[in-house]
Amino acid sequence: MKTGKQKALNILMNFLLLIYAVFALFPLVWMVLISFKSDTEVFTTTFAFHPTLSNYQEVLLRSDYGRYILDSVIVSGGAVLVSIIVGVPAAYALARYSFPRKEELAFQILSYKFAPEILVVLPLFMIYQKIGLYDSYLGLIWVYQLISLPLLIWVVRGYFEDISVEIEYAAQVDGYSWYQIFFKMLVPLIKPGLVSSALLAFIFAWNSFTFPLILSSNKVYPVTVAIMKYLGTDSAHYGQLAVASTVSALPAVIFALCIQKHLVRGLSFGAVKG
Amino acid sequence: MAEKNKNNDRSDLNKVPFSMRVRPYLIVAPSLIITIGIMVPFMMAIWYSLTNYSFKLPSHKFIGIANWVNMLGDASFWGAVKISLLYGIITTALEMLIGVGVALLLNNLNNGLSKVLRVLLVFPLMIAPVTATIVWQLMLNSSVGIVEKLLNLFGVYNFPWAAAPGTALMTVVIIDVWINTAFIILLVLAGLQSLPKSPFESAKIDGGSAWFNFTNLTLPMLKPSLYIALLFRLMAALQEYAVIFALTKGGPGDSLMSLSLTAYQKGFKFQKFGAAIPFILVLWLIINIAAKRIVNLQRAAQKQAAGLED
Amino acid sequence: MARIKIENVRKTFGKVRALDGVTIDVKDKEFFVLFGPAGAGKTTILNCIAGISMPEEGMISFDDNIMNLTDPAHRNVAMVFENYALYPQMTVYDNMASALRSKLYKTDEAEIKKRIEWAAGVMKMDNLLERLPGQLSNGQKQRVAMGRALVREPNVFLMDEPLAHLDAKLRNSMRTELKEMQENLGSTCIYVTHDFMEAMALGDRIAIINKGKIVQIGTGDEIYYMPCNEFTAQLMGEPEINIFTARPLVGSNKYILDFDVNGERISVDLPYDEGVYSKLHDLRLENVDCGIRPQNVKYSFEPKEGYFKTTVYSYESIGNKSVIVAECGGFQLRMIAPNGLNVAIDSEIYIRLEIDHAMFFDAETKDYIIRYDEAGFTAFAASQEEK
Repeated sequence: MKTGKQKALNILMNFLLLIYAVFALFPLVWMVLISFKSDTEVFTTTFAFHPTLSNYQEVLLRSDYGRYILDSVIVSGGAVLVSIIVGVPAAYALARYSFPRKEELAFQILSYKFAPEILVVLPLFMIYQKIGLYDSYLGLIWVYQLISLPLLIWVVRGYFEDISVEIEYAAQVDGYSWYQIFFKMLVPLIKPGLVSSALLAFIFAWNSFTFPLILSSNKVYPVTVAIMKYLGTDSAHYGQLAVASTVSALPAVIFALCIQKHLVRGLSFGAVKG
Repeated sequence: MAEKNKNNDRSDLNKVPFSMRVRPYLIVAPSLIITIGIMVPFMMAIWYSLTNYSFKLPSHKFIGIANWVNMLGDASFWGAVKISLLYGIITTALEMLIGVGVALLLNNLNNGLSKVLRVLLVFPLMIAPVTATIVWQLMLNSSVGIVEKLLNLFGVYNFPWAAAPGTALMTVVIIDVWINTAFIILLVLAGLQSLPKSPFESAKIDGGSAWFNFTNLTLPMLKPSLYIALLFRLMAALQEYAVIFALTKGGPGDSLMSLSLTAYQKGFKFQKFGAAIPFILVLWLIINIAAKRIVNLQRAAQKQAAGLED
Repeated sequence: MARIKIENVRKTFGKVRALDGVTIDVKDKEFFVLFGPAGAGKTTILNCIAGISMPEEGMISFDDNIMNLTDPAHRNVAMVFENYALYPQMTVYDNMASALRSKLYKTDEAEIKKRIEWAAGVMKMDNLLERLPGQLSNGQKQRVAMGRALVREPNVFLMDEPLAHLDAKLRNSMRTELKEMQENLGSTCIYVTHDFMEAMALGDRIAIINKGKIVQIGTGDEIYYMPCNEFTAQLMGEPEINIFTARPLVGSNKYILDFDVNGERISVDLPYDEGVYSKLHDLRLENVDCGIRPQNVKYSFEPKEGYFKTTVYSYESIGNKSVIVAECGGFQLRMIAPNGLNVAIDSEIYIRLEIDHAMFFDAETKDYIIRYDEAGFTAFAASQEEK
């Protein structure tokens, strides 16, 4: 029973969505296109060009790109892992225990996510130089906690708050120890929130630029900073940059596709859960 | 029997066992250590802002509030405050508007297009902002970029984009919107999908119009999610560094010198560490006040929404 | 099965004193009901017995073994939670099997299956076993929660309002079922409710709880007929007992009860009862609170000998009967009436109190003084307890 007005509205909605999709996706398509262009064709052609794999060969085989990716994986993966190990129990504590100034503490943790990166980086640069964390995996993993930990704690805390405490009691009475309850009962219940907040934290850490730019130089070289290398002072290799960028987006894209089902649902923090 | 023996000593009877007493502390200890570790730089930053710290000087000394006074007298300070606020507010407003709109479209249109786009539209998030900026730079190149070629069709030639002070802000805003709207879409979509079904079912029986349902049910119940999205986006936008840095490094002229960039420049380029920090502390203050306010609004909206559910 | 004893237990939450020196001695195989208004501390008592809450003071013992330091897992209690506390990620079957699959109460799967099928039969939910809790109605969840407890062989069953969310019909049949089952199983059970009928029907003994304190412990009849104070009297009974203040006056050879109804002075002769007369004589109180159950208030719509006049305040059905409330100035009187009467609000009504069923409370302390035929009721209650 669709009236003409509804049909028109439907077409309009699809049209608006399509416009946004073009805006959002075209640069990605463009980036992939450039990755197949030779340096000379980057500016001279639009869609018609001679596709080449030379950029891929150059970046993947003849540069240290693999090392940069590995550094990114170690630093971002490590940061998220630390955040999970540390943050899930903390989220539990913030949801379950009552202690004075709890809300203030929760806000404090969240506010680290919002602290200007430059503010953190200026003194940390000094400290890291002194204590030998400058240009090290540990140093970056530590500072990346600012990105990943607050996000994870806030999402997961919401999930713990939604689990009635009686479920824990029931499991205790059923003969389970606290640790069994935590891992067998609670972790499965927070999984959607944990997985999607971990993905988001991973993406933010992976894409972080300011921290590695200032707090590392040679030994640890995450992709975001390394990509700038392809814009060398002598000549800018945009094709290679596009390759580097495209490939570096793949881990997050694959991760996201894998948890696609949970991704949206899991981030419903702060919402009324039905 | 062990329990019998305990009969004799009743003083310990109600002492919570050691393992239970320490559990809360064990649970929070690791995050507390990290939190404190993260706090150290903030404390040090405040201290450094009262010194003449510089990489060029062998030692530093306490100079009171001189850095702060200098900053307030510095013409670039107020310009930087303006740029930071403008950038933060404009990008966040646009991203919220577009993001909420797109999320609503995705949620309402249950067709193939929306299903595919639900996955694809998240992808801009996965490109590092710095690289995204460079790709945009290529597209916006005022002589050979693809956008330029598109504009040529409409008779516009050599649009300056980031090269002119008048259009530079608009350019970064567009790029920021491209990068970060996906984040809003994600959070709002999550909020929309977790709305309880029952109020809508009863509204259907009452026969309210679509617009009535939207303003009286969807919006109030979505508010908590909207505040969360706003919170995360505004706080990040106010201190955005990577996009501006990658695009123009604050130029042309001082047209994009936000507080973050000014502090970076003073601290690392000019090596005046102590003088740089007040700029960024002011930014932190702005962010903290705004964040606290939004968190309070969010909590209130959450309570209100919970009431609607019943 | 075990004898459950808690002695002088105190528990505070922040500044709120949840339990204030509670002592209960539940006999082995007894069905013991904790009855009181919301927030009285009933659930907290269960939590202390289960080990979920740790009291600040006092002792909890099962069969003379002190349990204070034993964690919930090792106490071997089965508990039914008021909000069901089902594990949302597990099917009904797995929920019910949960305890029997824990390391402590390990049972082989064939036995688990047998017990679950039995419990599902009792709870009339054989068809629900493969569902997830999210797919159940509240009544069904409650039955699963009960089933999860029933499959066990615990020291004690702790049940927190386990029938509260069932519909009336199911609640009645479950009540009967539960009582029967308890007699067959011979299990100790501590049962929390705020439903008077449930407390009366199920409890071998009932403990009345208010503001973290035990007010009275006794059989249902004991408490119903000889409540230790006005609070208990009001709690026990539906509709609530009528209590009003009156003056006991000495007449020639008898006591007269004197009170005001809408400004008019009413005098009722107190029939002779040895207990009542001697108490009134000993205490020489100026005022007493007279308690009289609604079924002992008689009414007429015509003036009648021995009836006093008041007006109708309300007339409402409570199921298979109705309650008339009459306005008497300083107090109101509730009485039982059949359904479907044509009673107009504010119309005249004439009332007689069956004063030989009355009980008397101290008007100051609100404590029980005496009732008519106390000796008879005491003997009756004793014979009940024997059983």
